[in-house]
Amino acid sequence: MGKIEWAMWANEQALAAGLILLTGGIVGVAGQFRDWEFAAYAIAAGVFVCLLEYPRGKRNKGTSVERTGQYCFTVCVKSFGPLTRNYYVRAFLHAAICVPGGFILATVLGCVCLGIASLIYLAAAIRGEQWEPILPRKESARKPVGESIKLPPQNPPPRPPAEMRRKRAEDLEAAAYVNPITVTANDD
Amino acid sequence: MALSVRSWVANEGGKHLVLVLWLGANTLLFMRTFLMYYCGQQYHYLHQMLGLGLCISRASASVLNLNCSLVLLPMCRSLLTYLRGTHTVRSRKARRLLDKSKTFHVACGVAICVFSVVHVSAHLVNVVNFSVRYSEEFPSLNVARYRGEVRFPGITGILLVLILFLMFTASSYCIRVSNYEIFWYTHNLFIVFYIILIVHVVGGALKYQTNFEAHPPGCLRANQTNPDKTEEESGQAVGDGWSCREEARFQPNSPETWLWVSGPLCLYCAERLYRYIRSYSPVTIVAVVRHPCDVIELRMLKKDFKAHPGQYIVLNCPSVSSFENHPFTLTAVSWFKRFTELLLPDPGAESEILPMVQQRRYPKLYVDGPFGSSSQEVFNYEVSLCVAGGIGVTPFACVLHALLDGWRHFRLRRLYFVWVCRELQSFYWFAELLCALHHKLWKENRPDYLNLQLFVSQTDGLQNISEERYRPLSSRLMIGRPRWKLLFEEIGRTNKHKRVGVFCCGPKGISRTLHGLCNSDRYSGTTFEFNKESFS
Repeated sequence: MGKIEWAMWANEQALAAGLILLTGGIVGVAGQFRDWEFAAYAIAAGVFVCLLEYPRGKRNKGTSVERTGQYCFTVCVKSFGPLTRNYYVRAFLHAAICVPGGFILATVLGCVCLGIASLIYLAAAIRGEQWEPILPRKESARKPVGESIKLPPQNPPPRPPAEMRRKRAEDLEAAAYVNPITVTANDD
Repeated sequence: MALSVRSWVANEGGKHLVLVLWLGANTLLFMRTFLMYYCGQQYHYLHQMLGLGLCISRASASVLNLNCSLVLLPMCRSLLTYLRGTHTVRSRKARRLLDKSKTFHVACGVAICVFSVVHVSAHLVNVVNFSVRYSEEFPSLNVARYRGEVRFPGITGILLVLILFLMFTASSYCIRVSNYEIFWYTHNLFIVFYIILIVHVVGGALKYQTNFEAHPPGCLRANQTNPDKTEEESGQAVGDGWSCREEARFQPNSPETWLWVSGPLCLYCAERLYRYIRSYSPVTIVAVVRHPCDVIELRMLKKDFKAHPGQYIVLNCPSVSSFENHPFTLTAVSWFKRFTELLLPDPGAESEILPMVQQRRYPKLYVDGPFGSSSQEVFNYEVSLCVAGGIGVTPFACVLHALLDGWRHFRLRRLYFVWVCRELQSFYWFAELLCALHHKLWKENRPDYLNLQLFVSQTDGLQNISEERYRPLSSRLMIGRPRWKLLFEEIGRTNKHKRVGVFCCGPKGISRTLHGLCNSDRYSGTTFEFNKESFS
């Protein structure tokens, strides 16, 4: 349990909660409920939360999966710097946004869901997580193969030391040495 | 790659038929319930008060009943393994449908979420209508106590939506891949969900009229004139009973959710209990072998354990985590009841096992299973192509072990085995097995039974399997990625007009390419049937 990244789950929850808030707001406005102004607020709040939460953050370890087309949102969210990087700010922001949704029935579900998401963000913030943008990876140059591999060898292969190479007339048997690499005739 | 109708039907036909049947059942149920509330005499007054919101909420509720009962069935893994293993399901086409059980579960889950949104929205409108159109004529029909009161009797509904919210948000692909525990623990809230669901309808807010023969809806009461209609119209509207014999009487709808849901819920709970009892005794770890590239092999013994090649088990190690269970495919199932397994420790729980294991103080391990998977079908085709990516070779290793024990009695006549790895060292996991099988087949005069192709996808460095005893492998080793189209054409040309089973266990890229090739046009009349094994 120690390595769970709570922020990822909080992000999914906040996105879903934004959609629920938006739907509740639409139903409230279309049904002309009493106090429909709260429903109109919920539509705006839902859209804002969805836009804020759409770009997924980068995982600490492992590959991060982006949402489709999230790059432009990443750039926008990144531009707010520490306001969006810090999860304490997000937790309190979501808690504040969800409160007006609790006043009418149509948006109360969205309010509760966003509240839960804000609590999970608080837990993520306490554990020190941060939002890092997923940026396109610059193609790091692979270890380049040295140019010298394409040239023919400049030096002869290594040979045993000179004492061994010198042929000793008195001991022809011992003077012979075995080639370390077997030598075969070139067929072509 | 041009799509071929024949190939597409062979590969995708069964799945899409089931999808069409399921959509048809949902649509039929929705329309039937909608029309019952729209036109039914017993709901006439309620419909007058609530309007369309009543019909939509009840219709979506009946679809929710159906999907909540169906969603549990694909998760009864032991039952599905039994159906797959014994030839209760004789047709191979039907057994291939069992591979898609998880997809069906997800489809039902998504339907539950969508229709929950519809149901909740319609009920919100109902609450407003109960308040605004408070009926003085029929006071027992009301939920509000006076006109203008917004009374909301649906606390169970809110709880259900919250639990569904938690379950749904934790089951996206990226959460399952990165933090599986969140998914597992929230999904196990299903039991709370079902208990609250059964209790949900007991409130009885919606009522139907019990005596519509004696009091036809719209009839005139004794001291009342109908200001809206003329005499002829009202006579035609309700036939010959336009004067009421008695007052309308209402009764709450009896809850039917428990009828739909209790069967599958009991079946699933029985299955979980059976699995728990079966995995109660810990396994004996006989040996632990370290292989290159951070892979360990566990050899275990368990009483009364019978498995078939291609099946997988679920491991639980309480010293790492009491509640987590992770699936692993078996790599060998031999007749003396030993089975082995290759574990690829991801940088998570399993790497904590290694220090304990190195000190020979083996931790207690519990094994649940075996469960069936698509790789069991390799033996049921005349020609099979098995493509493994990296550690995905494990189900096929079990297949190869089974062939080593005896290959004559299977229907399989030719096996193409393609193994793609990133590093050369990975091939040493099963080098012995591959060479042993190769030698056995050569000795028994069937050299064309096994066609082996090994690929190393990382092209830097000098790569060669230099050991003398692994010579069959080094001569079949190729550097670079395989060219699938050429491979398929070759298999098609040498096995004309046959049905080839394609089994893939590896990264998504490979399985997508193979799936596309199986559905595309082939010139030699060979049909390729795609079967995929997935780890998550």
